[in-house]
Amino acid sequence: MEIVVCVKPVPDAETRLRAASDGRTLDSEGVKFVLAGYDESAVEQALLLKEAVPGSKVHVVAYGPAPRTEEVLRSAIALGADLATWVDAGAERWADPIRAARALAAAIATVPHDLVLCGKHSGDDEAGLVAAALGELLSVPDFSCAVDLRWDAAQGHFQFRRPVERGTETWTAPLPCVVGLQQAWNDPRTAKLPAILKSRKATIARTAASSPAPSPSVTPERFELPPPRTGAKLIEYRTPEEAAQKLVHLLREEAKVFP
Amino acid sequence: MPDFSLTAEQESLRDLARRFARTEMAPHAAECDRTGRFPEEIYRKAFGLGLMNLNVPTEYGGSGLGVVDQCLIVEELAHACGGMTTSVIANCLALEPILLGGTAEQKHRLLTPFCAEYHLASFCLTEPSGGSDAGGLTTRARRDGDHYVLDGEKCFITNAPHASLYTVFATVDPGARHRGITAFVVPRSAEGVVPGKDEEKMGHRASSTSTVRFEGVRVPATDRLGADGEGFPLAMRTLDQTRTPIGALATGIAQAALDHAAAYALKRVTFGKPIAEHQAIQIKLANMAQAVRAARLLTWHAAWSIDHGAKGTLESSIAKCFASDAALRVADEAIQTFGGYGYMKEYPVEKLLRDAKLTQIYEGANEIQRTVIARELLQLYA
Ligand SMILES: Cc1cc2nc3c(=O)[nH]c(=O)nc-3n(C[C@H](O)[C@H](O)[C@H](O)COP(=O)(O)OP(=O)(O)OC[C@H]3O[C@@H](n4cnc5c(N)ncnc54)[C@H](O)[C@@H]3O)c2cc1C
Repeated sequence: MEIVVCVKPVPDAETRLRAASDGRTLDSEGVKFVLAGYDESAVEQALLLKEAVPGSKVHVVAYGPAPRTEEVLRSAIALGADLATWVDAGAERWADPIRAARALAAAIATVPHDLVLCGKHSGDDEAGLVAAALGELLSVPDFSCAVDLRWDAAQGHFQFRRPVERGTETWTAPLPCVVGLQQAWNDPRTAKLPAILKSRKATIARTAASSPAPSPSVTPERFELPPPRTGAKLIEYRTPEEAAQKLVHLLREEAKVFP
Repeated sequence: MPDFSLTAEQESLRDLARRFARTEMAPHAAECDRTGRFPEEIYRKAFGLGLMNLNVPTEYGGSGLGVVDQCLIVEELAHACGGMTTSVIANCLALEPILLGGTAEQKHRLLTPFCAEYHLASFCLTEPSGGSDAGGLTTRARRDGDHYVLDGEKCFITNAPHASLYTVFATVDPGARHRGITAFVVPRSAEGVVPGKDEEKMGHRASSTSTVRFEGVRVPATDRLGADGEGFPLAMRTLDQTRTPIGALATGIAQAALDHAAAYALKRVTFGKPIAEHQAIQIKLANMAQAVRAARLLTWHAAWSIDHGAKGTLESSIAKCFASDAALRVADEAIQTFGGYGYMKEYPVEKLLRDAKLTQIYEGANEIQRTVIARELLQLYA
């Protein structure tokens, strides 16, 4: 089975973020980019499937600028991906999700793909459009918010589940298809040190994003960080009664939670 | 110009160690410190990820890292727990004599099966009658045909109760002092190997330390490393390789102390403002930051020198001695920054002081490091 996984570099949750000087986008200077949590679950799903279906290959594809995109592809290789393709976004700082999907679809169309996996949305923009757009662009069925995807060899279709409010749905889909996955349901593995060292030497195929950027339908206008949190108030107390009294006083007089 | 930037490969090694330290080690650090539990499941995971036999070449199943790379990993691990780190890196110390003194045949025979699975090894040099004066050790090795018979006792041996392999320094001629010392590799399964009970320690309580007695242990001559009398220089060359990562371990403890102190100083309010705004606390933090940076840079420099072929005795002694003194000072100032809370076990900083203390003692006490530094230094002027 030829499994393609789309991954995206997103800022590490521990990185301190700043707006770029144009005020429109994130300043990526000094930001550490990592494989998004959703994508880690997607790679894990691909590896589980590869282990279950002998002869399978996992091919990771990412669209974005250097060097962060190559770095996340290497992370996926260290986890066990067999092949990697970097769709070079050149100097483009931000791409709307449909443009990203176009670039990915153009690359995926040229390689074998029985199954295309991605996160149900990225860890940063959370637009959640790429899976659906890929299905459309590749003219194959697509589905999102899935977990626990398996290949049913007897029936010749995929089976997966989708947790919903108060229950779980089970679905099937034909081959090929695109599936967007939930995060953190499959306890993604950690890359081992020898695999990390080996991944540094792996070759990554590079293609330039094929079409020139279309005149964008949407443009990022402003990027702002949440206002700094004003200090939490620590209550000094000697007895629990005193603590409760002071807390009620603050809730009533300052937070005005009670009349 | 020296280049202090890390390669992408080094960053990914550090990320691996940091992630492991935060997700697997840190959540259990306080519990293991309180109970003295030896968290074997964590050490198994460290082995599984390739974080254990860091210095062993890949051809024998190790991770094949240079000293700089080892230091990057060790600092991250120690940030989460000094004691666990001591146990994770003890194999590097115990296996180094085989790497430096073993024949190709011995390395293949001894290291390959050892590194293929989770195993612990212990480096057995120190004896109850003295650690600093290693030349005066008394464990006897008597030749008997194609075997040696070992008799004696070692003490303060890291991981000894759990180890399956010991590198042992014994003397074939007590009268010859260090010229009689010879190194052997002894499996735990050999008859007469008796590890003692786990010691109750001040710090590094997730690590395990005990005596090991050798009671008439028969060791085939093929498990001797080098020739008779070559053990002492082998032990010293081993420590030249492994001392620098102890500098990294101390740096990790110091960085953790600074991180806790700075975060606390921003939160704790006295006299109407965060204590971070009182100049006395700012001076503390500034001094702590200087100590941490200097410790790290001396450690990196020593590691870099060794990776570039230097013997490294002077550089590694300076790094280990400075970083361990810095760790103790920084941990002390972290406690002071926390005030009364710093003295409470409920807060993480008093553990750092107890853990930092060991780094001044083991792998050569700092008094001995200073003797070595002075000796090496004066040679440059003589
Ligand atoms: C937790 C722990 C783990 C350890 N793990 C290991 C291990 O795995 N393997 C191993 O072989 N050893 C291990 N050691 C032993 C450690 O290396 C020794 O404790 C250390 O070398 C000091 O030896 P000592 O304790 O006998 O002190 P001593 O040698 O008795 O020294 C006592 C004091 O006198 C000072 N001193 C001694 N001689 C001189 C001198 N000539 N000039 C100035 N000052 C001097 C010392 O610096 C020290 O302050 C471990 C120790 C501990 C505590």
